[in-house]
Amino acid sequence: MENGELKIDHLVFGLLMGTDFSFSLWYFLKLLDETILTLALFNFLFASLIFPLNGALTKKIFILAIGNIIGLVWNYLFYLFAYTAASSLGNLFSILYIILSPFINLIWIVSLWAISLTMLASSKRKVEGEI
Amino acid sequence: MITELLEALLLFLTFLITAYLIRHYIFTLKILENHKRNKNANGMENVTYQPTVSILIPAHNEEQVIGRILQGITKLTYPKDKLQVIVIDDASTDNTGKISEEYSNEYPYIKVIHRSQKEGKRGKVSALNAGFKHASGEIILCFDADYYPQRDIVEKLAKNFVDSKVGAAQGRVVVLNEPQNIVTRLVALERIGGYCVDQQARDTLGLITHFGGTVGGFKREVLESLGGWDESILGEDTDLTFRVYLAGYKINYVNDADCYEVAVKSWRAYWRQRYIWAKGHMQCALKHFFKVLRSKNLSLKEKIDGLLLLNLYFMPVLVLFSWIIGGSLFFLNSSSWFSMVWTSIPVSFSFYSFVGNFAPFFEVGIGAYLDGRTRAQWLIPLLIFTFLYNIPICTKALIDLLISKIFRKNCNHWTKTVHSGNGNSYITS
Repeated sequence: MENGELKIDHLVFGLLMGTDFSFSLWYFLKLLDETILTLALFNFLFASLIFPLNGALTKKIFILAIGNIIGLVWNYLFYLFAYTAASSLGNLFSILYIILSPFINLIWIVSLWAISLTMLASSKRKVEGEI
Repeated sequence: MITELLEALLLFLTFLITAYLIRHYIFTLKILENHKRNKNANGMENVTYQPTVSILIPAHNEEQVIGRILQGITKLTYPKDKLQVIVIDDASTDNTGKISEEYSNEYPYIKVIHRSQKEGKRGKVSALNAGFKHASGEIILCFDADYYPQRDIVEKLAKNFVDSKVGAAQGRVVVLNEPQNIVTRLVALERIGGYCVDQQARDTLGLITHFGGTVGGFKREVLESLGGWDESILGEDTDLTFRVYLAGYKINYVNDADCYEVAVKSWRAYWRQRYIWAKGHMQCALKHFFKVLRSKNLSLKEKIDGLLLLNLYFMPVLVLFSWIIGGSLFFLNSSSWFSMVWTSIPVSFSFYSFVGNFAPFFEVGIGAYLDGRTRAQWLIPLLIFTFLYNIPICTKALIDLLISKIFRKNCNHWTKTVHSGNGNSYITS
């Protein structure tokens, strides 16, 4: 593998994995709301933009899996919090929820994105160092 | 009736936000593809073309930095017999003129134009036009006084003009004082996304490459035919970008033509700088929107990209607007089908068409990765807050612009960014 070359086989595998994760969440957990949409899009972006980069395939699959678990837990906890808050605060909270939920989701997605790129950039540097 | 109107408006805003998201996704994919094919270069590597070049450096009270750029200029590898450097001392009250004269006395290709208090201080654009009158080169390059050029930057920019269709060329801006504080680090990340991905992808895809106002230049005949810089507009760089394309020329982006800038280091300075950019960009949108639509020199994809680029600084305002509409619809008991849109709106936002200076997080991240950054990635989540900061900046710029249009007041109050010269310590040789 030449330095700087992107990995198409990883890209294809990543897209398959991402689709599989999204489908599994939808089919087995019966999720059909913002959570599944958020995770499906996360999987799509991650698979199409991170998987082609240099780095071990196992590392990428691991981060993708971790991302799905974090996203699921995050959304579940946030849903519980929102449910509780909405029952006591009513419409006011609903407005806050509508505006804030994308940003709340953004926090874990972007953070995970940043961490994975850091890990892969370190791999890239090691490869360059070896060359 | 009101509810239906608001729903339609919200749908339209969602469409707009998604359009930007798709555009940036395509840009990011294109850059990855280029990287795979090792096509970061623009095909000009083996071209040798050395026309006469004039470099314009407008400077108003730049004593802290003018010596640094002129020192950099003396180290340029471009043949000095083909080089003319014009420092426009724009009514400086400090030692800018004196320092420039010292260089001028030592290096004959450096010329200084002194503008009096009466004719000067009308902003960078006015100074550039004054300098252009004295320029004799076939190619006119512009550098801000706080920039520090790479030694072979002129060769890298000038050879693009061998193509008769190229009206302008733009180099890459790299932040010199990136480690200084959190603001400079975030600005550096914005720059990486903007230049390494955005500009490069637009150039490769044959879209509208943006002339950034510095670290770039024009073919003399093109600039003359366009009448130089438009002094009635704040966003002279965006204005010239569109005038070049509307005249049937294109702008080349040269990613390896680096020039180093000292980024703003405080949130207050960031506000001032972005406010000017936003207002200038909005002025350009009003000026060129219909011209772009009607142009026969632009292809369909250039028109779409041009319109998206022109309206970029309206987007933070529209995002705010969509939140307000969304909240209002919630209280107006919107129709049941609207629940579908409710989902799509947050998801559109979730995918974060914009962070920092209006690029999605994945674009900035991939740009930083390809630029060989590791630790800088950690700061990407903080770019969300710079986008939030841009909402009031752009909203104020729009309100001020509208007020000035309605009451026909001159809104072009040019505010100079103060350069303290602290970037000097980051230059090692």
